[in-house]
Amino acid sequence: MGRTAVVTGASQGIGRATAVRLSRDPSIANLVLVARSADGLDATAAACATGIVAVHQLPYDLGDLDGIPALVAGIHERHGSIDVLLNIAGYAEPRSLLDTSAQNLVTTFTVNVFAMLVLTREVVRHMQGRPIKIVNIASTAGITSRPGWVAYAASKAAVVSLSQTLSEELAGTGVRIYTISPGRTATELRRKLAPEEDPNTIMQPDAVADVIAMLVGEGERTLDGQNIIVRQQI
Amino acid sequence: MTFGMVVLAGGIGRRIGRPFPKQFLLLGGKPLLVHVLEKARPIVELEQIVITCPEAHLEETRQLLENHGFDRRFRCIVGGGTRQESVYLGLKALEGVDSVVIHEAVRPLVTVDEFRALIASPDENAMYGIPISFTVLRGHEYVEGLLDRDELVNVQLPQKFDLPKLVAAHEAARAAGTSFTEDASLFVQHTGERVRILPGSERNVKITVPADFVMAEALYADVIGRGS
Repeated sequence: MGRTAVVTGASQGIGRATAVRLSRDPSIANLVLVARSADGLDATAAACATGIVAVHQLPYDLGDLDGIPALVAGIHERHGSIDVLLNIAGYAEPRSLLDTSAQNLVTTFTVNVFAMLVLTREVVRHMQGRPIKIVNIASTAGITSRPGWVAYAASKAAVVSLSQTLSEELAGTGVRIYTISPGRTATELRRKLAPEEDPNTIMQPDAVADVIAMLVGEGERTLDGQNIIVRQQI
Repeated sequence: MTFGMVVLAGGIGRRIGRPFPKQFLLLGGKPLLVHVLEKARPIVELEQIVITCPEAHLEETRQLLENHGFDRRFRCIVGGGTRQESVYLGLKALEGVDSVVIHEAVRPLVTVDEFRALIASPDENAMYGIPISFTVLRGHEYVEGLLDRDELVNVQLPQKFDLPKLVAAHEAARAAGTSFTEDASLFVQHTGERVRILPGSERNVKITVPADFVMAEALYADVIGRGS
């Protein structure tokens, strides 16, 4: 039986590229696309149309943490399992310290950290004792200083920490958690972080999607628990 | 002698589809405009600092001043449709000062010492300039002539002018319908008076195209001791 994969942040960027990549993966039967933007999900689903996987769109705002248990339960009920969880949704509002509002901190951490944690908890709750692969997208901003991106960078550092902690906590249960820290990637989020940058000169989302696809492959058993840095090499 | 300052922060973010104006770009984590204003803050001779900005970003700029603790010497006004018009409106907003320093948000690596030296210069009107280090030719599709770079200067800001004379020059330019990309040329053209060229710095870069920003980031990292 094919696996069910849930992709958050599927309306654009790395999420969309990953969805398209997995839509051709014969080990996947169902691809559940989650994002705020219904229009963006339509575009991603259209890009997946030539694939071999059943694609399901689920518009949802991950800022609503309280609704996540019902969201996960609904996916599980419909498809019978959630075997792959790809926490790709991200939020960034770069500001200097003195211009950073409390709301900016709350929104950034809610989408980038808390939603990821609640989704993971709910998926693990439903899949006790069965193999699951979870990939959490952090960033190189989470491991080095990024002046002006204090909320975003701190949230990504939290992603690295929570991923490594949960990987150990869930060791031996069949849950494998991977962290990917992409370097500069040509996404809408990156455009907010570095508006002066030419997106054609940096890594494209497809490159990150290829790494994610490799990690969620059923044969991958050695890289979980690690923070894997993905950078465009010259 | 009393001094005021006009800071041009009139970008509207059109170039390469930038989602917000250049003056709000973060360099080393701080908006470009804040870099400039922080250099002006310790200079007590600057009694008034007027920042010209687009109407659509007036409130955002005021909020920036408040967030970063700039006092009442600093105030924002709505600029004009062109750089020249924005300078003129900034000059008219200064009250009771003899001399004006003009600078722009897109030159964030200006130093406090450069402001101080300009103000202290005995010349009534002065600007920073650096030699042209590359070859320049006249032409469009084909080369049409030579220019002697030894006779040319790369114009930098900040600049300093006698305020009433610069206002008069601007009004003459308005009456004549002439337009200029900076104020030393406008001033010389419409007053015939001399403007002293002070030696500028290669580091006082103007951020115009994306590659300038990459260079500014490297220069700033060097300034704060984080260069590689």
